[in-house]
Amino acid sequence: MQIKVNEQTIEIFAGARVEDVLRKYSRSEWMLVRKKEKKVSDRYGHEVGLDGELIGGEELMTSARVPEEPHS
Amino acid sequence: MKRILSPCSMLPLAFLTLLASLILPSCASLPPVPAGPAETSATTRSSLTTESHIVIFHSNDIHGRIDAFAKVAAILDAERKSGADVFYFSAGDNFTGDPVIDRYDPPGEPMLALFGRLGLAVVCPGNHEFDYGMGPLRRFASLFPMVSANIEAPAGAFPELRPWTVLKTKNGTAIVVFGLIQIEPGNGLPSTHPDKVKGLRFSEPLAKAREMKGLRASGQVLVALTHIGYDQDLLLARQMPEIDVIIGGHSHTRVDPAVNVNGVLVAQAGAGNQYLGRIDLRLRDGRVVEKQGRLIDLSQVRDEDASIKSMIAKYRRNPALARVLAEAPREISGMNALGSLMTDAIRQAHGLDIAFQNNGGIRIGRLPKVITLRDAYMLDPFGNQVVEIAMTPAEIRSLIKASFEKRGEIELQVSGITYVVRTDGTRQVREILLRRPDGSPLPEDRTYKVGLSSYIASSYSFAHQDPGRSLQTSTVDDLILYLEKGADLELYRDVVRAVWEKSPGPSEN
Repeated sequence: MQIKVNEQTIEIFAGARVEDVLRKYSRSEWMLVRKKEKKVSDRYGHEVGLDGELIGGEELMTSARVPEEPHS
Repeated sequence: MKRILSPCSMLPLAFLTLLASLILPSCASLPPVPAGPAETSATTRSSLTTESHIVIFHSNDIHGRIDAFAKVAAILDAERKSGADVFYFSAGDNFTGDPVIDRYDPPGEPMLALFGRLGLAVVCPGNHEFDYGMGPLRRFASLFPMVSANIEAPAGAFPELRPWTVLKTKNGTAIVVFGLIQIEPGNGLPSTHPDKVKGLRFSEPLAKAREMKGLRASGQVLVALTHIGYDQDLLLARQMPEIDVIIGGHSHTRVDPAVNVNGVLVAQAGAGNQYLGRIDLRLRDGRVVEKQGRLIDLSQVRDEDASIKSMIAKYRRNPALARVLAEAPREISGMNALGSLMTDAIRQAHGLDIAFQNNGGIRIGRLPKVITLRDAYMLDPFGNQVVEIAMTPAEIRSLIKASFEKRGEIELQVSGITYVVRTDGTRQVREILLRRPDGSPLPEDRTYKVGLSSYIASSYSFAHQDPGRSLQTSTVDDLILYLEKGADLELYRDVVRAVWEKSPGPSEN
């Protein structure tokens, strides 16, 4: 299946998760997300987890994580 | 919260039943509303308040991460004490991800006990609800209303599952909840091992959802509780404005605040119990007039329910992890032996020709003679999936070459073949020889079913025409199964299947 990461098309095995496709896109980018210095968002700007399951055709973007104002 | 009862609520029950039978014929083509503990008599349209407030808390994709439940409980209890109508929904994938839950005896039981304490109102199964098999799933569905409209089971196979259910508020407002589960485009099954869903039939979720439109007439609030991923939830919202709220899961999307699409509120609460979703619905004269959703960051919550915290601590001391899987004649030590054991497990579990495991995925130096479940997870703690790829010998060489060039040394352990990497004095790969276990050259004129961890499949740069597919099991699951089935552990003494020869020699194949 194909997933776009930062506008680059990545061919990845069926059933891959966000972290699989991110690792294939760029190992260093994957490490930054693991360290929570960056985050992964979908095409709508919502953050997705590294364990998030993909079905193909999704578009993901990585960006620096900006500390948020906590609310509860 | 102020509630004003309509005059209808004062009418005798018999009259109400008659009234309901006149009002409800629009539901005649739908499946009957199943009886359940959360339902009351047929007062669907007759006991409305002029104004009401409903709070739905929701989680999805918890994947066995139970630690934050003490905070979830504190939040739910505080809201319930305020007098509001409070419900707690799960949008699936509660299981698989933490051995404390997955390897409990019986599997998943701590999650069910905690859900009981939290007062879970309804759940839709996710693809990982099937991972333990039908027994535990049916137990889950026997304890809590479980909904999924696009799962069809033979008579008697899964009677606890229902396409939809109705929850009632204290004043009789009906919340109709239908469920949907994702299916893979290729095989039409949810993303779990196909053996786990044998006998069940799954239909395309958005097509099935269209058949649920008539449910709009069955209650004042219509909720789709889905495990189809955020993209599909948006499509569902666009095709079905009849829905008030979609509470989703599967893609682990953090939707904060919940978004309004085509008049439908679409929510999802990330994953791993990091967030708790909260949806506030305000109704006037039996119609939702205001709805909003946001996420509560549980890392920022300080209040905890002491009794739930105590339960979690007890589960964390899971005695199942001390269960003995196998007894070896001696310790199994070193990368070669441990990697051979792990790859043999992968290959046998799936009937593959060849399997590889990278050295970085072998996290301890030895397995003791008495091997427990905890040892297996210490050896292979990452939860990597097994990926099958059809590969030619040239592609297998490409993989081995890529692995060797990472550090200039043997990096991949193997089952099903042996191999020799020949380099020059500067560690430049000159030749890779592939041999069958009997020592003969691997035939070059065919492709092989090769099993890799998802880590290798995604982080090594190698040639392969077949993109591959997840086999929906983890490498550690295969290892546990292999040990439990009585593998001959004598095999892992002095075993070496991958060799680096620094001096170049004549080509063999």
